[in-house]
Amino acid sequence: MPRLELLATLEGHQDRVWQASWHPTKTILATCSGDKTVRLWAPISPTNPTEWQCVETLEGAHKRTIRSVAWSPTGNELATASFDATTGIWEHDARENNWECVATLEGHENEIKSVSWSATGALLATCSRDKSVWIWEVESDNDFECLSVLQEHTQDVKMVAWHPKLEILASASYDDTIKIWKEDEDDWYCVDTLSGHQSTVWSIDFDATGDHLVSASDDQTIRIWKMYKPNNPQGIPTHNGEATWKTICTLSGYHDRCIYSVSWSKVNNYIASVSGDNTIRIFAKDTEATTDEDSPIFKNIITEKDAHGVYDINGVSWFPNERHGDWLATVGDDGIVRIWRVIE
Amino acid sequence: MAQNLINANPTIYNTKNIVRKETEAEYDDNIEDPIDSQEIFDLIRSISDPEHPLTLEQLNVTQFEHIEVDNKNNKVLIEFTPTIPHCSMATLIGLCIRVRLLRSLPDRFKVDIKVRKGTHQSEGAVNKQLNDKERVAAALENNHLLEVVNQCLSTASLRGMEIKTN
Repeated sequence: MPRLELLATLEGHQDRVWQASWHPTKTILATCSGDKTVRLWAPISPTNPTEWQCVETLEGAHKRTIRSVAWSPTGNELATASFDATTGIWEHDARENNWECVATLEGHENEIKSVSWSATGALLATCSRDKSVWIWEVESDNDFECLSVLQEHTQDVKMVAWHPKLEILASASYDDTIKIWKEDEDDWYCVDTLSGHQSTVWSIDFDATGDHLVSASDDQTIRIWKMYKPNNPQGIPTHNGEATWKTICTLSGYHDRCIYSVSWSKVNNYIASVSGDNTIRIFAKDTEATTDEDSPIFKNIITEKDAHGVYDINGVSWFPNERHGDWLATVGDDGIVRIWRVIE
Repeated sequence: MAQNLINANPTIYNTKNIVRKETEAEYDDNIEDPIDSQEIFDLIRSISDPEHPLTLEQLNVTQFEHIEVDNKNNKVLIEFTPTIPHCSMATLIGLCIRVRLLRSLPDRFKVDIKVRKGTHQSEGAVNKQLNDKERVAAALENNHLLEVVNQCLSTASLRGMEIKTN
């Protein structure tokens, strides 16, 4: 049976930690917290993954909780989303070897809940309790222009996530839905609304192909959605020539409190979820049980109870590439960051 | 000012004077006292109403019977009853209960706070907001709101004794 091995416990944040985000290429983890800082963590030596240190603390730019942190695809910039209604853009200065807040994006009426860069790094998305999703164009010299304000969610928007290859955005909301957004000649519009969850959708993540999406909810279930293009061989109806998304698998009965975060590994295809029930769960596609791509079965292969003691676990994130494809970071209400490795 | 109150003339209930009977076991340090409904009730019964110089117990907003504690599994469920079904203070009252327990209970407890079924016209919305920890965290970063909550909690330590007026 596969299991999780705890590689490292990173202490330093002074309040609950909300999210963990891996650098796209280097072994660096960014975490953000109620203590209004982002911390960057790295192993002390490249050959020993069990000893880590905080290599940088990004502070001073936000007046309130930093809820979300995202690396640009090059890893040279970081975006931070704060309850203070601003998004910070940080740049690494190679000469000084430090991080500086080079831009502050304003416009949302209240708390920003999530920030995400598109695959090319040309676009940035933010979402807020003000029910809107904003799309920003990244221009030269740290200039950001707001291209669109999307106001179709009827409640607090919890998370935004870009498709791994295309300029397609997904957003998850307190209104229990997920919306998919696309551009048509500078005009962003909602392509599909994914209904099915019975309560707040807290987290979403695409798989490596971008044809599938996983979502986690306060309704204590995880849903796996598949994209069906027009004229698909399965005969799933589509509208207005747009692709439609359907739930092909629901994982229920695994968590018994709100599921706060979900991460779909781009390396080994595993799905990890974390919850207010203090547990990490890892799911793998069961290809022995069925090969039907339209109703797959996912089995729970690892369960790590009390992974942050008695505390809620708020965020989970798989290492993004082959180098440490079996690594996982989790963050909790205990203010602690943990790095885990899957042992097969 | 009275005409501006949400509920200008609330019914005041006689407090039942529920007091824990102290047993010898409670004085014995070798015997564990698990947290029970009585302990939770004592923590929240004397929270002040946001509008009136009365406690949640006196307004029958909190009742001993509507508290469930599963000490072994670290779970607490509190149901409270707004004084009127359209009470716009319901979320604030629930928030006060949540903050009181956040500050008083061991971290191991997972607390669910709900409006008693059928006692509020927006009970679904109130319950959802009270149990969204991200929104609770954001609310508690609002200094004005935090002041109001602290005001309501300033009497909480009375644990059932009467608020002294004047």
